[in-house]
Amino acid sequence: MSNAPHILVIDDEPQIQRAIRTILTEKGFRVTTASRGEEGLTLAATNQPDIVILDLGLPDMDGVQVCERLREWTQCPIIILSVRDSERDKVAALDKGADDYLTKPFGIEELLARVRVALRHSTSRQGTQSKIVKAGTLTIDLAWHIVKRGDEEIKLTGTEYKLLSYLASNHGRVLTHQSILTQVWGPADANHTEYLRVYMRQLRKKLEVDPERPQYILTEAGIGYRFIADE
Amino acid sequence: MRISSLLSRFGQYFLSIGMVASITVIFFTLRDGLDTTLIALLYLIPLGLITAFWGLAPGILSALLTFLAFNYFFIPPYYTLAVHRPTDVVILVVFLVVAVVISQLVGRMQFGLVAANAREREATQLYELSTALAGLHNEDAIAEILAKQVQEVSQGEAVELNILGTQPFIFRSPDVLRPTRTPELTVPIQAARGILGEILLWKSEPAVTSGERRLLQTFASQGALALERARLAQAESRARVLEESDHLKSILLSSVSHELRTPLSTIKAASSSLRSNEVSWDSPARPELIAAIDDEADHLNMLVGNLLDMSRIESGALKPKREWNILSEIVGSVLARMRHSTDEHKLEVDVPESLPFVPVDYVQMEQVFTNLVSNSLKYAPAKTVIHIRANLEGDAIRVQVRNQGPQVPSEHLERIFDKFYRITAADRVTGTGLGLSICKGIIEAHGGRIWAENLSDGLGFNFTLPLTWDGAPPPQLPVDMETE
Repeated sequence: MSNAPHILVIDDEPQIQRAIRTILTEKGFRVTTASRGEEGLTLAATNQPDIVILDLGLPDMDGVQVCERLREWTQCPIIILSVRDSERDKVAALDKGADDYLTKPFGIEELLARVRVALRHSTSRQGTQSKIVKAGTLTIDLAWHIVKRGDEEIKLTGTEYKLLSYLASNHGRVLTHQSILTQVWGPADANHTEYLRVYMRQLRKKLEVDPERPQYILTEAGIGYRFIADE
Repeated sequence: MRISSLLSRFGQYFLSIGMVASITVIFFTLRDGLDTTLIALLYLIPLGLITAFWGLAPGILSALLTFLAFNYFFIPPYYTLAVHRPTDVVILVVFLVVAVVISQLVGRMQFGLVAANAREREATQLYELSTALAGLHNEDAIAEILAKQVQEVSQGEAVELNILGTQPFIFRSPDVLRPTRTPELTVPIQAARGILGEILLWKSEPAVTSGERRLLQTFASQGALALERARLAQAESRARVLEESDHLKSILLSSVSHELRTPLSTIKAASSSLRSNEVSWDSPARPELIAAIDDEADHLNMLVGNLLDMSRIESGALKPKREWNILSEIVGSVLARMRHSTDEHKLEVDVPESLPFVPVDYVQMEQVFTNLVSNSLKYAPAKTVIHIRANLEGDAIRVQVRNQGPQVPSEHLERIFDKFYRITAADRVTGTGLGLSICKGIIEAHGGRIWAENLSDGLGFNFTLPLTWDGAPPPQLPVDMETE
């Protein structure tokens, strides 16, 4: 089991540590825990984990700061844990390099889904990114810029395609408003959330079966969007 | 100042002497027609006047001068101070005694009058001060009035009030730089429970008199009374607020503990039966128990979230993070999330996409729609219609969530947005009694208004959302016409 993915959990609450450790060990992961930021940073440096699960409310330092310090030397995926109503902190951590977030209390499926997505993205960073993303009846060919529902090609405008390809190539991951705006429109428009709202609506109309109840492009309230593809 | 007062003092003596001299000249011209005794009597008139006008000392001086002049000019032998006739001796002695006595009497009366006037002025000033201070409960205002009155009465260069206490402050009148030298007079503001501060007075010319000092001390004690009264009133209102919030907290606690205990009991019952061997592995009850734990944990989470929201609204910490949003997207995502609980009702949504952008906090608006819809779900009978509608109304968007549930007596329509306010008994409907008051807090933080109204077939919740954000209208985006 020595090549099982290694997960470092940094959380000061023993109950949460216990629950996550039990669940993840059961699922075949190796788990290390730390209850303080400094301790977590040291363990991350010595153990080189595949994923870091980081609570934003640590007793000794700000979780966002831990994120920043980790990002100084490692690209390993960081999943942050935080309580409801701290959208600002979540967005700050995501913009500082965290990959995803989970709101406490969370279900086990959510945790495992995040871990799976994180592992996939960490391998795709190493060069094996798939060029075709499938979601339900949708097929998005990122190499040839073709989007199809079934066999029928969907016509997208340039901006719509740019937006969709950014979402699809990061499928499963939450993308903040700011990161999408910067990526698609450029840093100068990073605050124009209304662009995003309008284009998301157009995109949903073209892609979703029921645009009012989207299945593929999900809104993460107050944070951003997430594209859900088949695993 | 001192020299001029000295001059005026000399002037008084000078005038007294002049008056005696001129009277003497007049009498001298009439000397042959007047009796000596009559002259003596007539002399008493200017003497009384002098004392009355200029006080005791000029009076005594005039009395002596008059005595000499009378003797010299009017008692034979003339132009000597010698007296030959025994009656003249008697007249002279009587005259001297009467003159001095009159001077003294009039002078003392005069002095008493001056003192009475001063006392009256002090009393008036004190009266003015206490009237001005009456009813004031603000320490700053009290300090300002006290300093201004001290300044007016003392005519000093500067007055400074140092008020001690939990929020010490300094008030200076007139509002100039504090003189560098030490103040000429420092009077503590002494109340029953200690020193509340002090009055500093800078006044070098003329020097502070003992009367002024006494008056300032009286002022200080008046100020101390006013300050003490203000502090007591503050303490009282603080106590009242505390008492009220204490009362609210106990309502909250009883409501909360009831609400929290219900899901907790379910969780405890389900998990303990799963843990024991009461429920066999393949029993159909097993997944049901597990689902109950999961659902009730979500319920608990929602309750805690509501409580947090409420405390945030109460403490004014609920600051909407505004962005230009599309209302239909918010409504859509709320309904998508609630689809499992809306099965029993018929939902009709009429929120046009053509509405302009609204400057709202996405998460908070989701909360408003969630609470209004779940309130409708809770009270409206199954199979009835819940209708969500939004339309443009002037420079605002008006939203209505209406249901076909029971109407609310009109006197309760406003109060249903109060915390913990319920029309039905608490144990018949679940919830913290916070949902609608959270909506109200959020809508008001967005600058909108929320109200409920009875409709012909049910109840409607209405709210408005202003379309401008810091005065800016919703952005207009060009329709994307480009194609690949």
